[in-house]
Amino acid sequence: MLVPDNPVTVGQAYDDLLRRSLSRVGGDLARLIYLASTRDYNTGKYHHDGLAARFDADVACQALELAHRETFQRIGAASLEQLVDELESYVNSSQQSREDVLRAWQKLEPYRVALPADVNVAVAQLFVSNVKIAVAILQRRYQRERLEA
Amino acid sequence: MMDLSGLIAGAVLLLLLIALAIKGWLHSRELQDPALPTADEDGASICPEEFVSRVFSRDDGDFVRKLGASDIERLFQKERRKVALLWVRQTSLMIRKLMAAHARAARQSQNLEFAMEISILAQFVASMAACAALSFAIQIAGPSVVPSLAQFAQRLSRRMAKVHEAFEASALTKTAGGTA
Repeated sequence: MLVPDNPVTVGQAYDDLLRRSLSRVGGDLARLIYLASTRDYNTGKYHHDGLAARFDADVACQALELAHRETFQRIGAASLEQLVDELESYVNSSQQSREDVLRAWQKLEPYRVALPADVNVAVAQLFVSNVKIAVAILQRRYQRERLEA
Repeated sequence: MMDLSGLIAGAVLLLLLIALAIKGWLHSRELQDPALPTADEDGASICPEEFVSRVFSRDDGDFVRKLGASDIERLFQKERRKVALLWVRQTSLMIRKLMAAHARAARQSQNLEFAMEISILAQFVASMAACAALSFAIQIAGPSVVPSLAQFAQRLSRRMAKVHEAFEASALTKTAGGTA
């Protein structure tokens, strides 16, 4: 459980993050990927230039971690149907063709790096399993659309 | 003669159940994602209640069935079984760890309450039986047929954790009172 050093400042940084950055990212899955991308692979620390400039770097790190955990909790508890909708909206917002994005997700499984640290292993497994199924469902859906076109 | 054949049939059935439970446990180990930490490493962490409802609910299964794609349905069944079996193994491990911790604390306690110990033991046996039954049912029919049993196992494990916490707090108070 994350225990912020200074809850008031972390809360302010969190609100700022929601208002300025996350509100522009459509959907929880996209937010999860975005937040995970602010984490350094080597240190596990989060960094966001704008947030670190307005607040302390440590405070920004804690706010990003908090947002990451909360977003993961929401997406982890979502139904499979909701997750398919989230993935579809994420895929459609990409600059690449949706088939290419899904193929990359199926092969490389980039969503694995979107897991927050120390998440319960069964919850992590449910998320990974659900995304795998959602990718298969969308691939099938687009395949049908191509055949019908 | 009839009694003997009944006994043999019962023994065979029991062995079959035990074999299936072990198969389920081994299966959950094999199926677990190698990129994720193992349930053994993560045995003490708490799993949120909404997660258990999600894994054992029928909603996702109904959604997949409506798609009318047998390969996706098979993938869903396989993946959901994997998650459910992992959760059962994690819960069972947590219960065993709690019981071991309680046994250690009880050995050092000088004021054991017999009724409380019997109650904890009964809860431990019931929890382990529920986990074995869950593992068996998930293997045979999938997690969506046993949501109540899963919730029962989760409630029991949480109750055991609370009872153990209360026991430790009470032991600490008595020790502090004795030394004061």
